[in-house]
Amino acid sequence: MDLAFTEEQEMLWKSARDFLADKCLKTMVREMEKDEKGYSPELWKEMADLGWLGLPFPEKYEGGGMGLLDLVVLLEEMGRACLPGPFLSTVVLGGLPVMEWGSEEQKQDILPKICKGDVILTLAQAESSARYDAVSIQTSATPEGDDYVISGTKLFVPDANIADSIICVARTAQSSNPEKGITLFLIDGKSPGISTTVLSTIAGDKQCEVIFDKVKVPKGSVLGEVGQGWEMVKRILEWAALAKSAEMAGGNQQVLEMTINYAKERIQFGRPIGSFQIIQHYIADMSLDVDSARVTLYKAAWKLNEGLPCANEISVSKGWINDAYRRVATQACQIHGAIGFTKDHDLELYFRRAKAAEVLFGDSDFHREIVAQELGL
Amino acid sequence: MDFRLNEEEQAFQNEVRDFVQELFRDILPPDFAGVDPGPEEEAREDIEKIAAQVWHRLGAKGWIGLGWPKEFGGQESESKSWILNQELIYNGIPGMDIAACQGDLILQFGTEEQKKRFLPPISRGEVKYAIGMSEPDVGSDMFSLQLKAEEKEDHYLFNGQKIWNSGIQRTDWCVVYARTDPNAAKQHNGISVFIIDPKSPGVTLRPITQITGLDAFCEVFYDDVKVPKENLLGEKNRGKDVSMYAFSIERSYGMVILHNARRYFDQLVEYCKETSVNGQPLAKDPLIRNRLAEMAIEIEVGRNMGDRINWMTGQGMLTVIPGCQNKIYGSRVAQKLSNLGMEILGLYGQLDDTSKCTQLGGRFRHMYLSSRAWSLAGGTSEMSRNIIAGPFGLGLPN
Ligand SMILES: Cc1cc2nc3c(=O)[nH]c(=O)nc-3n(C[C@H](O)[C@H](O)[C@H](O)COP(=O)(O)OP(=O)(O)OC[C@H]3O[C@@H](n4cnc5c(N)ncnc54)[C@H](O)[C@@H]3O)c2cc1C
Repeated sequence: MDLAFTEEQEMLWKSARDFLADKCLKTMVREMEKDEKGYSPELWKEMADLGWLGLPFPEKYEGGGMGLLDLVVLLEEMGRACLPGPFLSTVVLGGLPVMEWGSEEQKQDILPKICKGDVILTLAQAESSARYDAVSIQTSATPEGDDYVISGTKLFVPDANIADSIICVARTAQSSNPEKGITLFLIDGKSPGISTTVLSTIAGDKQCEVIFDKVKVPKGSVLGEVGQGWEMVKRILEWAALAKSAEMAGGNQQVLEMTINYAKERIQFGRPIGSFQIIQHYIADMSLDVDSARVTLYKAAWKLNEGLPCANEISVSKGWINDAYRRVATQACQIHGAIGFTKDHDLELYFRRAKAAEVLFGDSDFHREIVAQELGL
Repeated sequence: MDFRLNEEEQAFQNEVRDFVQELFRDILPPDFAGVDPGPEEEAREDIEKIAAQVWHRLGAKGWIGLGWPKEFGGQESESKSWILNQELIYNGIPGMDIAACQGDLILQFGTEEQKKRFLPPISRGEVKYAIGMSEPDVGSDMFSLQLKAEEKEDHYLFNGQKIWNSGIQRTDWCVVYARTDPNAAKQHNGISVFIIDPKSPGVTLRPITQITGLDAFCEVFYDDVKVPKENLLGEKNRGKDVSMYAFSIERSYGMVILHNARRYFDQLVEYCKETSVNGQPLAKDPLIRNRLAEMAIEIEVGRNMGDRINWMTGQGMLTVIPGCQNKIYGSRVAQKLSNLGMEILGLYGQLDDTSKCTQLGGRFRHMYLSSRAWSLAGGTSEMSRNIIAGPFGLGLPN
């Protein structure tokens, strides 16, 4: 057994931590919540130059040729810094599917642009039911000559307001089995008929409603095979759940450290509150939630990286960290007292993000059902 | 990163699994549902017999003290030792005696003579050990212990009392913590450790019945008991070092609890698949699916925490924090599981193994009771939290 980072991973997290400490200041994080785009294009370019945007893509498409475990290491630091912007959308929801199922033409077109920071991608999946299941996919794609015509309304689509390309999950055939007849389309985000409205979320990120009103797309924009989309969506959701778990693990660690520091400094009754046993016990439990979630994340990421079956491990990871991070964030608020209840303190950034992250790409009930299936129930 | 066992460990794990099959064939009764690790259930005669046979077979295999140096029959492999324990515990096989970990103490603090005298009988699976730490007025605050050991010409003279000594009725030796210097400026500096024969004249054992109904531990009275000087383990008045070491080797206790819980969990899952209520298997009930899956997640997380501590131990890293985290976590998960099992079994949950109509061998009823001990014995959950927060952990102020 070897649970150490490789030398490259060590370098990656250290440089990411330094870079983000320098460039991703909390003032910027707060500005971006109000900003229309929700990200800093300059920072995006710098991230491209660092090789972050191309990290998991093959070198022949100008990527870094690194693995998903490396990506997880980076995402953890992003979560720790509350980095705003479309990294997860572009690299995980958009880039990985193109890398996995794209035609050579699609890959050559899209991947180098992702690596260079020239395009932003996202995935339009959920609809009004707000669930990650196949029945919910009502958006239709109807063949018409050399095109498909797509109509429907997608919800909670991250970063659609700035996306150059959207992978849209649509129904190309009706079937008694809702998992059949689903197809993925790689669509130009500026196509006529697409309209986007940014929703106002608890985390201040840019999740959107995207209306596809008779959007015409050429048949060549199908990603993977027609009718085989649901298997792909399940895979993408696994990647996304893992990536979100990684961000959450980073946030979780940061909240614990902030709380330990605060408990050492805040004096009441003439002594640091961290000397009160109940506070010590709260913090001991928080450390358990933080450390257990991280090693569980790594187990899942390692399996995915090795190409081993990992649906169970990913659901264990997301299912656990959803609750663990919420517990840590709420307990941190309690320990911080009123200051933790304010917009002046950084804790609130994490508190709000923890809740948003909990429901994105599967809440705990969603992942428990997957685990139940894996148990053969 | 790599979460797999290496080839040698993998091969050893297979060997152990074969051995377990062998035990099921040769020694264990049909339908053996497994027992909790530790000496408690040996208070039942049938389990005591099985335990003795298994202990002996482990000795014959050369598998006791796998972490020890070769000259004492070991293989210097902590990981093999853990693999063996994990398989035995998961399968609920009694027999791995406390002697194995007390041997670790003897190896660390014993003189050459003591090692030659005490270790070989352990590694042959011939002797059993108990631990004598707690006293009526001394629980978590163990450095305040009072059992008096006065140094005389050629022996120490013991007077006082211990309590909660598990299994001591059936053991050959007990590792006892006693006060040799009542005037030490700091109370932890006046403690020494002895290896004592519980059958020595002047020792009286009085069994105490546990909540499970088992007479599993004892009050132990010492009235002018003479203990030979060569049975002093470690230096006189340096018993604190021995006890600190004893706590550190208990770092895997949380994993012991967790791997034991895995067996119960798997049995519960099977039960839910096989049992239909009103024409529908329990496994199809959304609430039961959700609760079982939640449990599965918690167990899996615990196993990952176990991988982490094993790896850290192998790297020589400090494991104070994860050891305590795992102890808190393992006992919490196991207690939660015991309650889940009781709720799913409903009215049947009340029945014990001797009862008509009992389900799952009455094991969940037993576990619901026995699991109370897991957040107490070996350091309470509150003490574990103190340690995580304290100077050897996260460094919160005093
Ligand atoms: C099944 C079983 C087997 C055992 N086997 C043995 C054995 O073989 N040999 C042996 O020597 N002992 C044995 N023990 C005893 C065990 O070591 C003690 O139960 C344990 O150390 C706790 O001590 P106590 O029970 O006296 O509880 P106490 O120390 O009195 O604690 C009572 C409560 O107070 C809390 N508390 C105490 N101090 C603090 C503090 N500083 N901060 C916060 N909370 C605190 C505890 O967490 C607990 O909740 C066994 C116990 C059990 C249950």
